[in-house]
Amino acid sequence: MALKSQMLLFIVFAGASMVCAVLTYTVGNSLLAFLLGVLALILAVVAFSTKYYMYLYIPAMRMKNKNIAISSAEPYLLSPSGTSIITSDENGTYASSFITIPIYKSGTEMSDQERLDIARLFSRILTVSKSTIKISSQLYIVNKDKYIAKIRNKLDESESKLRSVLQQAGSGTQITDRAKGEVTMWHNLLNNISASKSEALITYAMVSANGGNEEEASSIAYQHAEEVASGISAILGISAYVADGEEILNFIEPDRMIPVETVNELIHQKTVEEGI
Amino acid sequence: MDEESIVYLGFSILAVFLLLIGLSNFGVFGFLMVILSLATVGIILVLNYADFLIFPVITKLLGISITLAKGNMAPKEQDRIVKYVNGLYYATGYLTANIYKYVFREEAIMGEDEQALAGAPEKWERIIINADFPFKFNIISNPKDIQKYREDLEGRRGFLEFQMSKESEREAPNSMTMQAIQRKMNILQARIDRISTGELPLNSIMYVETTAVGVSDKAAADALRNQLERLETLFSSLDLGVTRVTGREIHTLFKLNYVLYEGALMQKLFDSQS
Repeated sequence: MALKSQMLLFIVFAGASMVCAVLTYTVGNSLLAFLLGVLALILAVVAFSTKYYMYLYIPAMRMKNKNIAISSAEPYLLSPSGTSIITSDENGTYASSFITIPIYKSGTEMSDQERLDIARLFSRILTVSKSTIKISSQLYIVNKDKYIAKIRNKLDESESKLRSVLQQAGSGTQITDRAKGEVTMWHNLLNNISASKSEALITYAMVSANGGNEEEASSIAYQHAEEVASGISAILGISAYVADGEEILNFIEPDRMIPVETVNELIHQKTVEEGI
Repeated sequence: MDEESIVYLGFSILAVFLLLIGLSNFGVFGFLMVILSLATVGIILVLNYADFLIFPVITKLLGISITLAKGNMAPKEQDRIVKYVNGLYYATGYLTANIYKYVFREEAIMGEDEQALAGAPEKWERIIINADFPFKFNIISNPKDIQKYREDLEGRRGFLEFQMSKESEREAPNSMTMQAIQRKMNILQARIDRISTGELPLNSIMYVETTAVGVSDKAAADALRNQLERLETLFSSLDLGVTRVTGREIHTLFKLNYVLYEGALMQKLFDSQS
């Protein structure tokens, strides 16, 4: 649809440009011919620019305060099922679903052959989809507040577990040492994450589907995502799954890559350090 | 150059030729018309090959910013997307990152590609360890129509065979030309062989995006520039073609966060990166 209107607009401008150029042959006045010639040149540039900038033409006519608003709507809407995001534009209604690919392997622990194999397998996952697919690896800053709270809960749990183990008369040394080790591990983890900013890496895939309405697009996208998740799981030997709800936002929102609370904490720390 | 670009270029420049042929119509303004016509051709060619140079200059000069969606704006420099959330500015910038070395290279020495592939996971992890800011590496791929692609390759091979036979029939065949044609034929044959073994030909776009945060737009933009420079250095270990993306392409990349198109709409993007 957009491509057709782009071509139509190009034909209109290119046609007008050629008409102006031809008219320069018919008018007798050299000044009038020159002005027509200049108009033909301007129209020629405008005609060519439709190839890349057609989407800006109509919004540019409604420009306010030197700002061209291509769209003032939200960039996407979360589908009622929570398994995809919906976008609508001049090309139709699209739904996109995301597949989380949990990979916990490290290249440093692999032999050369294993590294070669994983690189080959990874390139194979690009072929699991018959339509367009996006594979992304995202390094993001972990929302520390939530993480710290989680670690604290784990620490509390392990401490109460240690207490109950110590209170039990018949507990063996091995069980006690294990419980103590667990408490030490969570303690160390808590100290470490409080000292520096924590980052995490996540890999995901994205697929989109076009539909007559939001429900149809969302359902097709989800179905396609399920197929892709199965394909990826089989190739890499992992459990890839279709992300939903809040998890999707982690892949598309920049403020989820750098959480507000963490940034505020970092800015505060920096200010305190500079103050000292 | 693709067929669409040829049509656009041809019809846009046609009017310029008409004007240059009828220069006598402009009388004393003839010389001025020559200069303006040549400038127009120059502008059209720059728009075709490097519009990312012109577009940001125009928006910067006119001070025009572009709102892509609610809360997401491309400032007049057209080098980043800025989102304002809870009193903080999140600036996102893009780098192209073409993995030439890790894709099919027919002229590569046997074993060289395997070595590069085996070393890639460790290099990637080193990048992750050294980057202390958020970023994303994205690959968008779309399978080509195998039948059409194969027919295209066979057609090109047939044309090269014709050229080869024409060259060999000459009285004094040029060995350099024949070698060049043979090399091109080998490349095409290698591609055909790979399809025969079941490999799927793919279109692909690769790019890196990073987000920086600041208490003002300027602070976020400065932090983003630093991050992009660091990423360029870090990704140099993977031997990638890394270039900062500016201009209208950032609008497209922003949209690719939310939707992936099919068919001609996506094909245009693949063509433009190739």
